[in-house]
Amino acid sequence: MTITNRINFRKLTTAASLGVLVCAVSITDSNAGTLENLERERALVIESILNPELKPEERAEEIERAKPRLVDLERIVLRDPKMKGRNTPTVRRAFENYDLTFMLHAATERNLSITDNWLSQIGITTQSVMSAPIRRRSGE
Amino acid sequence: MTNIPLNQITTSGCQIRPGLRAATPIIFAAVILMSSTVTARPNAGLPEWRPESSEKLVKLPATYLKKSIDSDFADSKLGLAIEENQEKSRLKLQSLKDLKMAVRDADGEVKTEIRHHLLAEKRSFIYIMSNKNEMRRKQLVTKLRLFERMLKKLGESDAQMTKSRKKLVDKQETAKKRFHASLSTVDVRLFENDAIPESKYSQKYAKNMTAIGKLVSRIGSHRMNSSINADGHLLTKEEYIRGLLAETQSEISILEQEETILGYMAKLVALDALVLSEEALDAVLINSDLPVNNSPAEAADFFLSN
Repeated sequence: MTITNRINFRKLTTAASLGVLVCAVSITDSNAGTLENLERERALVIESILNPELKPEERAEEIERAKPRLVDLERIVLRDPKMKGRNTPTVRRAFENYDLTFMLHAATERNLSITDNWLSQIGITTQSVMSAPIRRRSGE
Repeated sequence: MTNIPLNQITTSGCQIRPGLRAATPIIFAAVILMSSTVTARPNAGLPEWRPESSEKLVKLPATYLKKSIDSDFADSKLGLAIEENQEKSRLKLQSLKDLKMAVRDADGEVKTEIRHHLLAEKRSFIYIMSNKNEMRRKQLVTKLRLFERMLKKLGESDAQMTKSRKKLVDKQETAKKRFHASLSTVDVRLFENDAIPESKYSQKYAKNMTAIGKLVSRIGSHRMNSSINADGHLLTKEEYIRGLLAETQSEISILEQEETILGYMAKLVALDALVLSEEALDAVLINSDLPVNNSPAEAADFFLSN
């Protein structure tokens, strides 16, 4: 084997090893947590709830489509042993309010829709809307 | 030292020999005294024992833990060295017994020789025992540190339980309880009428949980998983390791006491050596022809007249 060939072979093996290393690191990095996956799904459901451009039936259909994914993801998080004592801001916030995080289970438990339960948790009820005073916003 | 003329050296050679013979026991006693002091050997020169990491040992069941540590020690260089030393000390002790009996039956110069030999053997015995104690100390200190590390590992989960972490864990426990309490209700409401089909995750999870339940039950009833019993009181792993630590600490205290014993033995050997050298000196003095001191006054008459 000539010197040029030997150098090329060495470069190739080095490049290949680096490539494998980068792939391994990438795989590790892209493995998002169970809670992060749930939060992503929850955000999509809330987006559907708050989207003013959706008709009521479209909204209901989107929420129904999200339910099978949501039920599994909520259960995975609740059953995840690695979650116990993992004192990060995301985990602390998630377990601060069961009804807001585990929307589907909380709503089903109370025999309410996801939308109704979520809105009531953030303080928006029929009573609060109806009793809201109409007045000018300050500063305008 | 007196100046002895050369011609007197050869004709009365015993004039030098008493000096040498007198010095020999003193030199011998000095050697015994110097070497009888029990000096601490630096640890660096002793064989090593590196036990298994505390992370691995903490996971072992309590019943197996002590046996595992003892077995690991027995196979180490330090363990083998102590065993070898034990054998040497046993043989040395036998040698001392034999010499003691021989001294009783011997007579004259032979007896003195055997007594010298006995002293040397006593010195050697003290050295072997001192060496053994150093190795034992190393073993016990290593064991002590190991138990301390294991207790630290066991207590780590408690030590890291800060206020906020504890609050989080409490909330997680509450969430779990609420989830389990409502699970059957939620299942009925969600999956009735096939509104939401049961996912693969739910089906496989249920199947795996059955298998896990059986395995956990078997682990719980396994012989090696049984807790240590002390006077009818079941000990936790932490309590058991604390007990072992206290035991090791007491062994170190006993070892220090044994070193005191060795110190006194060494002192006795030194004193016996002095006795022997004194006896040898007496014998030398009796047989020696010491030079007579002639006073000048005796020759005064020769100077009175010319």
